[in-house]
Amino acid sequence: MKQQAFQTRSIAESVVGFVQFARSHGLNVGIQETQDALRCAKEGLISNRDSFKYALKAIFCNSPEERKVYEKLFLLYWDTNPTDLQEIKNKTLVKGSFKKKNSASLVMLGRGKTEASEEEGKNVSGATETERLKRTDFSKLNETDSALLEDIARKMFKQMAIRLRRRMRESRSKGQINLRRTIRRSVGYGGEPIELFRRAQRPKKQRLIVLLDVSGSMDRYSYFLLRFICALRENFRQMEAFVFSTSLIRISKALQQNRVDFVLTAISEQADNWSSGTRIGECLHEFNDKYGKLLLNGSPVILILSDGLDTSDPELLSQEMIKLQRRAKRIIWLNPLKGMKGYAPEARGMKAALPSIDDFRFAHNLESLLELENILANA
Amino acid sequence: MQAINSPSEIIVALEKHQYVADEEFATALFLLLKLQKPLLLEGPPGVGKTEIALALSQLLETKLIRLQCYEGLDINAAVYEWNYQKQLLGIKLQEGTNLSVEEKEHHIFSNEYLLKRPLLQSIMEEEQSPVLLIDELDRSDEEFEAFLLELLSVFQISIPELGTIKAKYKPFVILTSNRTRELSDALKRRCLYHWIDYPDLEKEMAIVKKRLPGIEQHLLEQVVAHVQAFRQRKLAKTPGVSETIDWAESLLALGYREVNAKAFEQTLGSVLKSVEDINQAKAEFIDTL
Repeated sequence: MKQQAFQTRSIAESVVGFVQFARSHGLNVGIQETQDALRCAKEGLISNRDSFKYALKAIFCNSPEERKVYEKLFLLYWDTNPTDLQEIKNKTLVKGSFKKKNSASLVMLGRGKTEASEEEGKNVSGATETERLKRTDFSKLNETDSALLEDIARKMFKQMAIRLRRRMRESRSKGQINLRRTIRRSVGYGGEPIELFRRAQRPKKQRLIVLLDVSGSMDRYSYFLLRFICALRENFRQMEAFVFSTSLIRISKALQQNRVDFVLTAISEQADNWSSGTRIGECLHEFNDKYGKLLLNGSPVILILSDGLDTSDPELLSQEMIKLQRRAKRIIWLNPLKGMKGYAPEARGMKAALPSIDDFRFAHNLESLLELENILANA
Repeated sequence: MQAINSPSEIIVALEKHQYVADEEFATALFLLLKLQKPLLLEGPPGVGKTEIALALSQLLETKLIRLQCYEGLDINAAVYEWNYQKQLLGIKLQEGTNLSVEEKEHHIFSNEYLLKRPLLQSIMEEEQSPVLLIDELDRSDEEFEAFLLELLSVFQISIPELGTIKAKYKPFVILTSNRTRELSDALKRRCLYHWIDYPDLEKEMAIVKKRLPGIEQHLLEQVVAHVQAFRQRKLAKTPGVSETIDWAESLLALGYREVNAKAFEQTLGSVLKSVEDINQAKAEFIDTL
């Protein structure tokens, strides 16, 4: 257990103690920060409580969220009386047990619970098997196939990411002549421009925003779609990802680690409504409201993965879609249900959204996801 | 310039340069001067992130060097470039002389032919530390951010033809970001951090009063209270402090002594910048005037 201010003997020790305390509570502070904090104390800032608090705040925090955490930590560390300690211990205990409950409620998105017949599955894998699996609807997979398909998917998504990158690199050979570089090189030839240099066409980094529906009706698809999003991230470095059902959660940070399992735990820690009903309209409203001004600059491509089975007001959904379309370069909606025979976008939500969608496609199997490569490459 | 020994001295000094800062912000600035670490400022647009660099440079009586970031900003535009046209002329001019090739080369790759861009300028100051403002860093690419990381830790730049240039006086660096994308953790860790939010009523009145000393109290109160009310609404573009000042200024210029219905309608465009917002504000506020 980390000690608190009253347990230390000198000022330097308590400052160092505070750094450790902050670190153990999730602030990203290291030796450099400790040194800076001690220097602040030396500069005389420690004589005033507020100055000292503000000074360490500037050094320790990196975002508005961290600044809020810091306020609490500062109070907790410097103002704790030994007599109050018992109470705090109890509090952390309650908090811990709450967390456990949260991660336990994680539903595994149509992933197999047992892997009993895995051996069998490996034996039958071959070219035709791969082709068959690629066309199988995610919702109709049995557990063996599911594991197998996951392997295939991982490989293919990886190849796709590489292909997308390569395409960008090769297209650089065209372009206008770069006068400065040409002249620069001609200096060596006495001013004759022998080698021509061209202004490389900088691969335009298309920004991508992905919104994934993780509600109950999408349960069977969400896991693969999430994996797909992870693969996209490799290519689109400027990508923002969100999941939504009844509320909206930003998962861009979690995705940076590029491990589906991490992402799942990270999401489940925040989400208490995983695999519950859908309120697309309200979630899009929240998106426009909270993130619109930040993320919709410079016309990004927006990718929505949802079945359009909405329980909120379709009017709201259609309004929010129009708002999105106005600021996006194009909106691509992937609907797993579209793969079903005889499907028509009849659901109220889907109908409301349809006029604002540039590209309405299916996403029920691996093949249909891989087709998206061409669209994104030209986007 | 007298030496600054505490955050409260910064508040007083900044006030002379028409910048109102609270204690928390002043402490961050104080650390910027004392620890010589870069300061990263984030916050909504129009709350004085860029302005502080100007005020600080006036306060320190030093130069302000500004680098505006944009997508595709590269080393040539940010650090240095050779003046190729001039170099070519230089070669032609040297053709008749007896200089050796080495001497010629040395000549055309000298300071005279170097175009200094903001980052190089900032570490080549001879007299005292300048203030370097790197504005809207979130708009630049990740590659540039990585380069900046190197510069901010060692304050030196290598030019192959000239050698390494190390800063004689480390610049005071202020970086600003509007959070359109998250900056890398590595960069953030090298910086002090401060979040500037919209000011409260009292502070905003003080700011406007500082900028427009001639404004009457009644008008001032009305303007600021309205802008504060606008910020509570869901608008397409939330007005910043600079918009408040613009609005007050336009009202003054038109000779209004209070915000009445006519004045409101005429000048709303200087504070709200989209049709929807203006219509919404008109519908909501005009009856109260």
